[in-house]
Amino acid sequence: MREAARMIIVLSLIAGLSGLTLASLRQATGPLIEEQVLTYVQGPSLGQIFADTENNAVRDRKTFRPPGADRELTVFPARRQGRLVGVSFETSAKGYGGEIGVMVGFTMPEGKLAGIAITTMKETPGVGSRVAKHGFTTQFRGHGLDNLDLRSKGGDIDAVSGATISSTAATAAVKQAAQDFKAIREELAKAWPES
Amino acid sequence: MGATWKELTKGLWREIPPFRLVLGLCPTLAVTKTADNGLGMGLAVIFVLTLSNLAVSALRRLIPAKVRIACFIVIAATLVVGVELLMQAFAYPLYQRLGIFVPLIVVNCIILGRAEAFASRNPVHLSVADGLGMGLGFTLSLTLLGALREVLGYGTVFGLCLFGPGFKPFSFMIEAPGAFVCLGLVLAGMNALTNWQRKRQGLAAVEGPGHDCKSCGLCAADKK
Repeated sequence: MREAARMIIVLSLIAGLSGLTLASLRQATGPLIEEQVLTYVQGPSLGQIFADTENNAVRDRKTFRPPGADRELTVFPARRQGRLVGVSFETSAKGYGGEIGVMVGFTMPEGKLAGIAITTMKETPGVGSRVAKHGFTTQFRGHGLDNLDLRSKGGDIDAVSGATISSTAATAAVKQAAQDFKAIREELAKAWPES
Repeated sequence: MGATWKELTKGLWREIPPFRLVLGLCPTLAVTKTADNGLGMGLAVIFVLTLSNLAVSALRRLIPAKVRIACFIVIAATLVVGVELLMQAFAYPLYQRLGIFVPLIVVNCIILGRAEAFASRNPVHLSVADGLGMGLGFTLSLTLLGALREVLGYGTVFGLCLFGPGFKPFSFMIEAPGAFVCLGLVLAGMNALTNWQRKRQGLAAVEGPGHDCKSCGLCAADKK
């Protein structure tokens, strides 16, 4: 009986202490990790959308909450000559192998699509993964905010052949982003004053 | 001092993991595509192994024998998650390259093997020396294996180009089978070297496992 009690106490103590250590370590490293993820996961995709910007988009990011939505958007600004020329943020939709994250850029103040880049996905290599390739993503460059659907659904986006689910998901994420953009456009225009 | 030094250096040649102990092969084969991947993995293992040996050795009189494996695993898992968090915070590109193999350090046989075979029976300073030595040996092995495969498969070492543009990379070496071939050749080379040394000393060549089985204990049942 005493032996059993000792086993329970020692194991619980060790496990408890471990949990405590990890919880505090997680809290301490949390902001640093967020910064790193933004730099190495979202950062490269930002470069694909807006070339030759003059600011550090990751450092200048701000969060917004579209009215009526319960999620937050982290918006990355793009500046040239001190003026805000575009914003990007990430949305996601369910694809064939899990969530597809899409970074969607909009030009400011025109309010058109500047381009898209896939940030994270687990689509089938060689099939669904082709939505990250140029042929698909370049269709969105300079596109308006409406008509963002695949041709089969009445829009004007060509799906990647053999990868309807992945194409639908990527397009749905862009469409969602366009809606969010419309909802917070006024706020965005004022968020990064001219410098 | 002599004993501590002995425990530290045994991991560098006599019992060098994974070549002598042939434990912890999963990361050895999987992440050694390039030398700096091997080095990064090795550094993570040094950290986990040294601290886990320290913790296990310090708690060895407190931990009841019946739940010792559970306790060792909890300690190792905590350290590994700690390494994972720190790596994400300070070396994110390395974390992206090592991927799933960082959390898999928990089930790396070397960690549990050293805790069970050494740290749970020896005082703290010897255990730390053992962990540090084994970790260093592991790092050396992985870096060597990574460098070999990188030279043959990409024609570079630590990303530095060795040969001119005329070099045709032997890309078999950076695929999974190349890892086995490379490991086998290194093991064969080490055995040949050991036997050559023994021959010069007038001893008979070693057949079968070259290391002493004490540190493993798995086949103790066979010997009875």
